[in-house]
Amino acid sequence: MRRRAGVGAIQKQRLEQEKYREKGSEIQENQFQQMSKQLDVFRENLEEFALKHKNEIKKNAQFRRQFQEMCAAIGVDPLASGKGFWSVLGIGDFYYELGVQIVEVCLATNYKNGGLITLDELRTRLIAARGKAKKHQEITNEDLLAAVKKLRIFGNGFTVVPIGKGKWLVQSVPGELNLDQTLVLQKASSLGTAWVSLSILTGDLGWNETRAQNALNHMVKEGLAWVDTQDANETLYWFPSMFAECVSA
Amino acid sequence: MAEISWPWQYNFPPFFTIQPHTETRTKQLEAWQGLITDYLKATKQSTIDVRESQNSPLFNNGTINRKLSQEAIVTVLEHMAKSGRASPLDKSKNVWEVYWHSLDEWGNMIYSWACDNGLNNSVCTLFELREGEDSADQEFHGLDMNILIKALKTLEMKGRCEVMDFEDNQGVKFI
Repeated sequence: MRRRAGVGAIQKQRLEQEKYREKGSEIQENQFQQMSKQLDVFRENLEEFALKHKNEIKKNAQFRRQFQEMCAAIGVDPLASGKGFWSVLGIGDFYYELGVQIVEVCLATNYKNGGLITLDELRTRLIAARGKAKKHQEITNEDLLAAVKKLRIFGNGFTVVPIGKGKWLVQSVPGELNLDQTLVLQKASSLGTAWVSLSILTGDLGWNETRAQNALNHMVKEGLAWVDTQDANETLYWFPSMFAECVSA
Repeated sequence: MAEISWPWQYNFPPFFTIQPHTETRTKQLEAWQGLITDYLKATKQSTIDVRESQNSPLFNNGTINRKLSQEAIVTVLEHMAKSGRASPLDKSKNVWEVYWHSLDEWGNMIYSWACDNGLNNSVCTLFELREGEDSADQEFHGLDMNILIKALKTLEMKGRCEVMDFEDNQGVKFI
């Protein structure tokens, strides 16, 4: 028969556990201190780096993207704060400025595209609007996406709609596109025709007619699509935002 | 074919279908109004006969195989009539007069030209207005006679001029 553990053994065990715990938290604290020290050093270096290369970051698009990626990797958002040292940098300002210009371009083209614009057109117009100086020219799509994301704080008035193959549309009218409508835009973009039809949606996407018609009707109602009843076979739905001549007009 | 720079909409197929959505339709009708005005100005025309105009390149874009139907043309013209840019000449709305400027604008334009040239209180014939050397650089030079008279009548209503008839000629006295 097994002997039951005595009171002494239990107390000994408890004591040991306590010691372990103490040691554990000691180690943890040590690590934490070291980590935060390391992070401080890193932050300092990053700040130093950013300050030193401030102009480079502003001017060089590739450099800017790499810097962004680096910041993202350690969970620092140089755009998030308008205060503190990051504001000295003016990196946030760069994107705020872009944001304002994006809003301007979207409003200026709204009359023809109904509030939907491809990122490429947006970029072309923005560059034209920013002037000819070389430092204004290097705006990448990533810059625009980062800036548009900042516009989110104004509600759902500005959203980015991915339409596949590294292409995006920027929507500048209130009201969110649902998944089906996004798929319709993706389809039109991938076909490269600037239009879709009921048969394309039912054939290529495997939708039933009600679903396809609902999505199309909704886009007409939002002023995003134009109806064309003069095709020999069926009604076509056109998107001016993807129509080449509209884009370059 | 007239040398005008066609707007992008002219090659956009749905432009030739009257749009069901109100906001989009407004944009569409505005664009048509601009296009029609530009086209008639370039071809020096001032009337549209709905029954015949379907074959005019204005309403028929062969390249994309789209044309504006007769009813659609009337819709556009009715929209233009609301802002004084067109008016039907017959009850069945087949023949329309189109104004590059509203009659009011034409009237003011002629009146300010008359003032600038010191023609107040003097009489000049409509022929002089339309084809005289003094008005050669004016937009109303060569304006359709009917439209010219209508424009002067609106001016007369405002007490700025008097339209008068001679034997076989018409004249106007600016006040």
